[in-house]
Amino acid sequence: MANIASKRIKREFKEIMKSEEVAGGAIRLQLVNDNWTELKGEIAGPSDTPYEGGTFVLEIKVPETYPFNPPKIRFVTKIWHPNVSSVTGAICLDILKDQWAAALTLRTVLLSLQALLSAAEPNDPQDAVVAKQFRENPHLFNLTARHWTNVYAGGPNAIWEFNQKVQRLLDMGIDEHQARVALSTYDWELERATEQLFS
Amino acid sequence: MADDASSSSGFTGNVVDNSINQDELIMKQQREIEKEISESIPLVGDLEQLASLEKEYNEDPIYLLKVKDLSSKYKYVRRTRPDGNCFFRAFSYAYLEHLLTDKQEYDKFYEIAKNSKDILVALGFSQFTVEDFYETFMEVVQRVGEQAGGSPDTLEAVRTDLHDKFNKQGYSDYIVVYLRLITSGQLQTEQDFYQNFIEGPRTVTDFCRQEVEPMYKESDHIHIIALSNALKVGVRVKYMDRGEGSQVIAHDFPEGSSPLVHLLYRPGHYDILYA
Repeated sequence: MANIASKRIKREFKEIMKSEEVAGGAIRLQLVNDNWTELKGEIAGPSDTPYEGGTFVLEIKVPETYPFNPPKIRFVTKIWHPNVSSVTGAICLDILKDQWAAALTLRTVLLSLQALLSAAEPNDPQDAVVAKQFRENPHLFNLTARHWTNVYAGGPNAIWEFNQKVQRLLDMGIDEHQARVALSTYDWELERATEQLFS
Repeated sequence: MADDASSSSGFTGNVVDNSINQDELIMKQQREIEKEISESIPLVGDLEQLASLEKEYNEDPIYLLKVKDLSSKYKYVRRTRPDGNCFFRAFSYAYLEHLLTDKQEYDKFYEIAKNSKDILVALGFSQFTVEDFYETFMEVVQRVGEQAGGSPDTLEAVRTDLHDKFNKQGYSDYIVVYLRLITSGQLQTEQDFYQNFIEGPRTVTDFCRQEVEPMYKESDHIHIIALSNALKVGVRVKYMDRGEGSQVIAHDFPEGSSPLVHLLYRPGHYDILYA
């Protein structure tokens, strides 16, 4: 079995290297270990989304039973998105679960993840807090996602006001990421975020 | 997951993450159960006397009557692993086995199989993966073809080889995947027709993505109709359930065809029957 998985991954790897998406810089794939069971993926944030300009790193683990079972994938780069856990990077996407088919490939998965960044599925969320904000306060969601893209994925759009608020909490001795999560969770209301952090 | 979302106003998304862990635990447990089943039952078993079914139903008069009815038409049964792929595995095993003794049918099938890849690629399946499965599938098909219609001695060797391949997860699952693709291709080519079989608002393409292409998804009438149409192979399915009467009802796919493959259906599972 393991043999089938690694043979298939090797072929996929060659295919993906020749693909136009790699040539265009939309996706990347790298090996992490020699036995082809762990890879590192990268997707570029799609344009006209809050993720534009960011580069998102993915951890890809290939199970022994690949391609009959899906690869295990999570975001390593922290991201603010309804279908990705802001804590663990776990992804909620049907093709990574019960709708995986052996005819899919790492290339199609990376492209699907990129598409997920363009079109979130708030009704099937991985992160309830993010999904709630996405539905109830889309403008603030957009800014928050942009801010996270800037800080964690190298996106170009700094949100000055948010950076100031994070700095305020830093000055109080709070860990930077913890501060950002609290502020993002409480719609950037400094008071509520502080209250929660010190409760 | 969606339920948790509405009730959660918690911090850092922990509430949903817990539920994901639950999901994963359940999935893990399910995988372990599947593994246990898979270790106890071969992908495709040896030929057994039909009477072996009686043992399963010692205290069940309805089923015993039906086994009796079945034994008036069939002598043997060959079990397959109940992993959701059983229809595809049983069908392909029984059909390839039949082709060993029917050169004419083999030649007909070979043409259909050879053209299947181009049909799938034309439908938009990725050439890369389709080719992968096609090649393994054709390797097994051609091995059958080399000896099709040959002397009983040479056939025995190919039979053993076929049986070994079907019990190697790699080969066996590659064949299942390719038949799933052919089934999906047929459904999509004739979507106007097959749409009538699909309940609810799903399109044929949705249905294929959710119920046909993924491994371990169980087969229904629609899968059997599509595959038998795509390959132009008659399949007879004997339905053995708790229904009234002592007879096991037969269904032929496509309707009116003369069946080359005989399968036994018991709720949720297909095995192979031999006259």
